[in-house]
Order: sequence, then structure tokens, then C-alpha cells
Amino acid sequence: MTRWNDGRDEIGAVSADITEETNALPARYFTDPDVHEMEKEKVFGRYWVYAGHANRIPERGDYFTRTIGGKQIIVTRDGEGDVRAFYNVCAHRGSKMLDDAPMTDPGSLGRITCPYHLWTYELDGDLASTPKSFEEATLNPDLDDESVRGLDPEANGLMEVTLDSIGPLVFVNFADDPDLTLAEQAGSMKDELEALPLEEYELARRYVSEVECNWKTFSGNYSECDHCQANHQDWVRGLELMESELEVNDYHWILHYQHREDVEDEMRIHDEHEAKFYYFWPNFTVNMYGTADGYGTYIIDPIDEGRFQLIADYYFRDADLTEEEEEFVQTSRQLQEEDFELVERQYDGLRSGALAQAQLGPNEHTVHKLHRLAQDAYEA
Amino acid sequence: MAMEREKSAHAGALACPTCDFHTTVAEPNDAIECYRRHRSVTGHAIAWERTALDAAVETDDVETALDGLGDEYGEGVPLGVLTAALAERGVTIEETLDAIYALRMEGAIYEPRDDRVLVV
Repeated sequence: MTRWNDGRDEIGAVSADITEETNALPARYFTDPDVHEMEKEKVFGRYWVYAGHANRIPERGDYFTRTIGGKQIIVTRDGEGDVRAFYNVCAHRGSKMLDDAPMTDPGSLGRITCPYHLWTYELDGDLASTPKSFEEATLNPDLDDESVRGLDPEANGLMEVTLDSIGPLVFVNFADDPDLTLAEQAGSMKDELEALPLEEYELARRYVSEVECNWKTFSGNYSECDHCQANHQDWVRGLELMESELEVNDYHWILHYQHREDVEDEMRIHDEHEAKFYYFWPNFTVNMYGTADGYGTYIIDPIDEGRFQLIADYYFRDADLTEEEEEFVQTSRQLQEEDFELVERQYDGLRSGALAQAQLGPNEHTVHKLHRLAQDAYEA
Repeated sequence: MAMEREKSAHAGALACPTCDFHTTVAEPNDAIECYRRHRSVTGHAIAWERTALDAAVETDDVETALDGLGDEYGEGVPLGVLTAALAERGVTIEETLDAIYALRMEGAIYEPRDDRVLVV
């Protein structure tokens, strides 16, 4: 039963059973600025969150920056060839060190130097050097040089962020001691994706859009296809929706979309004769296309409680796209725009304050999972 | 102190041709935040597609334009207003912000409030 803000209906926690009445996350969790602040820690500070693609930093010293839940990080490749992540914050007095360098336009450096007082760090985060003014007390009449304590390179190094990967997909976790390993959070998705040659594909396109709704509103829309028949008419023409399936796992769900006409195996990166769209809690998707030899990823990045950025990346064998691949990307963009209209319209309604708690249908079990995970995170 | 112009309910529209990204902003400085957000994840410089502000300048020189608008904005000219006015003269947001940074580093301008500037 739908629950309105009419003074009579009472909201409840998201039920474990989707057939129960209170099966959706209460509306305020989509519109309350305090919830957005809470999510920075309880969602984006505790789970494994996608940081970027290792292919973009192939050489020692290559790096890109990312901001996740308000935390700015540097993702770089160290001297051993390992990908590592550090807060983009100097150990001296906390200055932001590197300017933003998106994955689409990565930077390269031999060492990380803070522009403020020129503290310099190795690529493994250790403090490499400081200017002489940190070794001598020349300007301080109360100290002699001998009493200046030395700076241990490791103890005064950068703050590292826990990092792990699924193939070339790099994830970070900001918790001091994460509750789950990436393998535990990803479950079977890790094995499935690592069986594919994801690293052989190049980033061909990145499209970033800002959308006027809560990030979970879009996530919910992505996760179900009850809206497709009415709103993605061009796309569903090529699908057998009734033969499609939405599979739910612990922290990810997979939308298996069957196509009306099969395509050659060479036209897909994976073996199954279907499109497989993975949603990985909290805000990442991997889209294995059914009719194009490539894959895509979405990052659903909150800006505030009422806006998010959709960062859509497209990977193909070659970054120079064929005409068919260009057309494929355009179709994907069309789907996005159609979805943006839907979620902004939904959010307009939510923001009015009339609805206290929505209700989910039986085929919105993926959305139910999303809402359950959000609730679990808030209560943790 | 000079009276501020009345705030516009709709400051204009911005676009990134590379991303096929179009958006509208309510307040002029929302455009600057949007520019920075977009740039941080793409490296692209978005531009004004159209503006709904009545701030006009008769020059493409950033400092002169800022000086001209300063009388109307006692607490500083919002960078969104400045970039919108200069966009009408063919100056991109990126060019304006680069020029503002250079002027600030020279001490020629100051920032009485965040993202609002005035000529010294």
C-alpha cells in the first residue's frame, strides 16, 4: 500500500519480503540534505566504490584524480607497476596537492610534490624530501638545528586508500578496516568479469551529464525495466522482454536482456547471447552489450541530495569507432536522455512531499535490493 | 554600497558539445560550479549556450568588463555574471576564468566573497 504524508499513514522500514506493504525506502531518504551528508560516510565511506580504469594509467607515474563522497584521491601506478590510491592531501599541513586530472586526461609525474611547501613524495606514498627549511631552524632563534627532529619517510608519507581491482576496474574503500573484501562484496560478479578480456578494450568515449534527481532515483530506474515498454520504445523493439530476467545477488544484480535477433559471437565480449547489465552497489554499473563488441560503465555520482552526475564511459576494441559503434553509442545516449526525463519527473513528484513511502511491484526486486542495501547502510 | 541587480530565476543554459551535455542554471554562479564539476571529470570546458542575464559589456577585455560591472555589484561581480556577459563578446568561460586567475595573482582584483570579484 502506498503511504502518503497525510497524517494518517505510517511509514515502515524496507521489508525483507518484497510482497509486504512497506517494501520501498521512505521518500525522505531521496530528498533530505542530511541523508546526503550521511551517505558520504555510511555509503561511500564504507563500501567498495569504483575509482577508474587501470588502462588509463599504464606507465609508472601515470595518475588520475577522483572525488568520492567529498574525498579527493590520486590513483597512480607506482614503481613496481602496482596501482595505488592516496588522499590528494599533503602530510605537512593538509594542502590539496595535485590539480584535478580526470581519467580521460590523466597526468604523469615522477614524484608527487605539494606546491605549498614543496614536500615531495615517492609514488609509493613515502616522503621523499622536504626543503632545507624543514631540516634547519634558521629562522627560529629558540631552536638550534640539532634539536630539529628528522622526518621518517614512511611515518610522514601520504595517507593510502585501500584499493583492489576486478580486472582493470579499480575500486577503493575508505574504511580503516573494511567489513568486506572487494571479492566478498562483488561475489560472482568478480569471477564473471575477470573471465572477460576487459583490459583489451580502450576507453573510446566519456559522456558526463548532470541530472536533477537523487542518485538512488536513477539507480532504481536503471535497475528495472517495467518502464521500458512505455518509455524506450525504439530500444525494446529489439528485445524479448518477456524472456529477460533480473537476477539479484548480495551486492549486485544483473539485468539479462534477450535480443529478438541473435548476433555473431564476435559481436559480443561475453559468451551469453544476451546483454548483461551489472549494477554494483552502491553506484557503479558495467554494461556488457548484447549487440556490440564492447562494454560500458556508469558512475552515478551524487552532487547533493537532488542532483547527480552520470559519468558514462564506453570501451571498444579501438578508440576510433566504426560507424556502427558510433550509432550504438548514440542509441545508448538516447536511452540515457529518455531515462533522465523519467527520473527528473519522478523526483519532481517526490520533492513535492506528498509521498511518504512508495510501493514496489513484483518485478522491481532489483530496486527492492537497492533500497534494502541503502537502509542497511544507514543503520550500520 | 551599490544596489545589487535583482536575481534572475533562470540565469541561462550551458553546454558541452563533446558530451552532448546541456543544462540550465538558476543562479549565475551555479554555472561556475557546473563548469568546475564537468571539467574535473572530463577535462572539457563547458560554455554558455544562452544567457538570461541583463548584464552587458562593450569589451572583450576581462579586467575592463569587470570594472564596468563592478558598480552594480557592491559585494563583487559573480563570476557567472561576468562570464555570461563576456560570452556575448565571444570570450569563453575558460578564457575568462584563466584571465581572472592571472589578474588575481597580479593583485589587480580581489574576491570579497567566494566567486565574486572586483577590480582593486
